[in-house]
Amino acid sequence: MADALIAEFGDDAALARAVERLHELGVRGLDAHTPYSTEVVRDALAAPPSRLSLAVLAGGATGASAAYGLEWLLVAHLYPLNVGGRSPQLPLAFVPITFEMGVLFAATTAFVAALVTGRLVRLWDPVFEVDGFEHASRDTFWLALELGAANTPPEERLRAELTELGATRVSDLSRGTP
Amino acid sequence: MTASAREADAALTDQLVATVWSGSRYFKLGFLLLGAGSLGFAALIAYTFEVGIGLWGNNIPVAWAFAIVNFVFWIGIGHAGTFISAILYLLEQRWRATVNRFSEAMTLFAVAQALLFPVLHLGRPWFAYWLLPYPARMHVWPQVKSPLPWDFAAIFTYGTVSLLFFYLGLLPDLASTRDRAPERWRRRIYGIFALGWRGSEDAWRHYRLAYLLLAGLATPLVISVHSIVSADFAVGLTPGWHSTIFPPFFVAGAIFSGFAMVLSLIIPARKVFRLENVITPRHVDACAKLLLVTGLCVAYGYAIEFFVAWYSGDEFEIEQFFVTRPTGPNSWAFYLMLCCNVVVPQLLWSRRLRTNLKLLWLLSLLINVGMWCERFVIVVLGLEREYLRADQAAYTPSWVDLGLLSGSVCFFLFLFLGFLRFLPIVALSEVKETRRHLARARAEGAAAGG
Repeated sequence: MADALIAEFGDDAALARAVERLHELGVRGLDAHTPYSTEVVRDALAAPPSRLSLAVLAGGATGASAAYGLEWLLVAHLYPLNVGGRSPQLPLAFVPITFEMGVLFAATTAFVAALVTGRLVRLWDPVFEVDGFEHASRDTFWLALELGAANTPPEERLRAELTELGATRVSDLSRGTP
Repeated sequence: MTASAREADAALTDQLVATVWSGSRYFKLGFLLLGAGSLGFAALIAYTFEVGIGLWGNNIPVAWAFAIVNFVFWIGIGHAGTFISAILYLLEQRWRATVNRFSEAMTLFAVAQALLFPVLHLGRPWFAYWLLPYPARMHVWPQVKSPLPWDFAAIFTYGTVSLLFFYLGLLPDLASTRDRAPERWRRRIYGIFALGWRGSEDAWRHYRLAYLLLAGLATPLVISVHSIVSADFAVGLTPGWHSTIFPPFFVAGAIFSGFAMVLSLIIPARKVFRLENVITPRHVDACAKLLLVTGLCVAYGYAIEFFVAWYSGDEFEIEQFFVTRPTGPNSWAFYLMLCCNVVVPQLLWSRRLRTNLKLLWLLSLLINVGMWCERFVIVVLGLEREYLRADQAAYTPSWVDLGLLSGSVCFFLFLFLGFLRFLPIVALSEVKETRRHLARARAEGAAAGG
């Protein structure tokens, strides 16, 4: 028995209407697969905003403070060099590397966090087994919904609803490994 | 979305992904020629490793010469890529979607060339790791108050962030390539690089924010990198270098040369892959207008350099700008620079020229030459005439210098050809999103009007 259903739509507006209807029916755990980021689907799914920026801020702050600390350690503490009587601790001269390392760490965090939160870096996923799913990166829009949760209508009714809402095909989706 | 819009999406995907399977004999010929040039480049690098930089034309006082000219030139080329990817993205310039992949690839490959030259210029390149603050037994650390370690940090960050930005933007299109691949082995290879991208809305949500943040981070980065490169010069006391105008002047020049290189690469690629419906004359026109604007910034920089030299009353500054540049050894580079960077871009005021792609391509090549000459003027002419009369010399490049420059051009084009051959060259998902956005805006406009 399938753990979930996945339905194909030819259009993002139809998918968004389906999401709204399924929400009315009390179905939760919806996810869409689209060839590009689309506002109507995003609004319909009403997912909370991504909090990735907090991780990026933390990454950037770590990089910048570590760089500044290292600069201070190297040229102000471990090997102070007197050049023209200037202070070994010279914040202005430490700014460029501090800035660059802040950007480097923040950008790396953004990249890694996008992969982790988007559940990427995997060679296989159950949706790849669905017939026609290769069109999800080309021109069709797919809606996946979990079955078996409390208050979710029976599978047959959901299939009928999806077809009525304009799905061109409805397939089973098994969350197990191949 | 109508059925025709869906068909248009499908057709666009097939067209843009098809560039990956459409290897022609011209590609093979191109790979062969540029591969041979790249091998020659590798051989000259090995020769320099073996014998040392005495093979080059460098002398005292012209100790920087070609290596640093090439380094600044290639770093500058890279800047338009980040400018198009990041700054135009933040400004919601949707036309960038058609050209950003090209320019990001150009950035990566240009930075790869740029990294080689300062390392070779070290003389003993195998000690390049001394720039890193590694726990050395002698407890001697990099002097981080000098612009050279700043430069190392800036270029390393720039290369890494450019790579991450490029790869993140590429993920959805690698998935499209995986899904359209005709053979199983190609599906596997593109599947591995697509990292299991499924176009999930959950992934898009985080992806969009990460892309936006990377664009936000890359924007000050692109300004900082060439500013730091300019600090290599401006912190020195050499006449013609010691100037506060250098950071903005260098950044404007970098974006100017980068846009010229974007046009030099895009115009032939558009023709070869028949991308006229994707990269329209409007896109090329927008690039040409930006070329004109940045060209004017550069021309203003030249004028201010002369004015400040005169206004300073410093005899060495005056001599550098009013004697050495127009009449000194290698003054041909100065005239070529003025001709290519100041006179030639004025042709871009003409709409007819901006839409004549052959002329625009020639013009972009001339600007590339002019920008290389600009770096030559700053580095070589600056060093040929410093303070001591007894320490003045002319510079002539050796055949190894010329070989390394042309070899790096071959290697750059070889890498770019590899990109054209094996990766989707237009940001597919972004172009489809833009088309959808425009169609919806048009429909809403028609509904409001009607």
